[in-house]
Amino acid sequence: MSVRHASVHAKWIIGRVIGTKMYKTAKVRVTRLVLDPYLLKYYNKRKTYFAHDALRQCTEGDIVLLKALPEARSKHVKHELAEIVHKVGRVVDPLTGMSVEGTQFVEPPTDLPLSLGEDQTLSEKLQELNISTAPSGADSPPAQNPTS
Amino acid sequence: MPMKGRFPIRRTLEYLQKGDIVFKNRVKIMTVNYNTHGELSEGARKFVFFNIPQIQYKNQWVQVMMFKNMTPSPFLKFYLDDGEQVLVDVEGKDHKHISDHVRKIVGKTEEVLQAEAQAKMQESNPANFGPRKYCLRECICEVDGQVPCPGTIALPKEMTGKYRTMMAAAQEE
Repeated sequence: MSVRHASVHAKWIIGRVIGTKMYKTAKVRVTRLVLDPYLLKYYNKRKTYFAHDALRQCTEGDIVLLKALPEARSKHVKHELAEIVHKVGRVVDPLTGMSVEGTQFVEPPTDLPLSLGEDQTLSEKLQELNISTAPSGADSPPAQNPTS
Repeated sequence: MPMKGRFPIRRTLEYLQKGDIVFKNRVKIMTVNYNTHGELSEGARKFVFFNIPQIQYKNQWVQVMMFKNMTPSPFLKFYLDDGEQVLVDVEGKDHKHISDHVRKIVGKTEEVLQAEAQAKMQESNPANFGPRKYCLRECICEVDGQVPCPGTIALPKEMTGKYRTMMAAAQEE
């Protein structure tokens, strides 16, 4: 009976993605605090895990939550991606729900297709901007808005 | 010769054992997001500096991770076994306040801890003899004042089974 198919000790772990070059697999570095026996101080000890990422959502630098699979998927992959806790570059503050950059709040990017309540088409947005080169209509201004 | 560092008392076994936050069995991961500058994160910074070693010492199997300067507001997050997550806002709070709050929501209560300590004491009953892993002594021959081990010192003739059966047989006839 090979030990390889036994379930893993760590059921839930959090780590940082360090590599996504494998097919639907994320390489995740997990740090745990380990007590140095002489200094009696805690230091981070790192370990890499491979996690199955079926939708290829991870990018390098994400903080992810992994869940242990009931059975090992392959020799090294024993976990799967449960949730991306902090997406790199698009961190969302859990208390306010706003996107955040370091210690500053950031305006959510307006060109996202998922922006709330934005039903305007691109042409309507351009109309709002009200661009025109000449005040009078002697020469047809190049940025005349199409009335479609 | 004084110890090295800012608050070297944090690096003593006595201080680590004094920690009283023991997480419930369901808690698997603890995450602390805090900032290195700013008044609002001061409590969180002190919590990380003073209380995290105590917590990790008492909860060896919980993964504790610290994130610095990721969000403007500091918070704690606990990941429980069934996928449940507990979010704790620690903005502007004092580190004592934070640790009390944490103990109230995800820590084992005093009664549970005492019951566990009692159960542990009952398991290690000095009246039991057995393998070293479970009991203090293996055989009564180890105790001072008792009959020494016949493996090392021969028993007096009157105590051996062989002599006794011989005497009993001689008595019968």
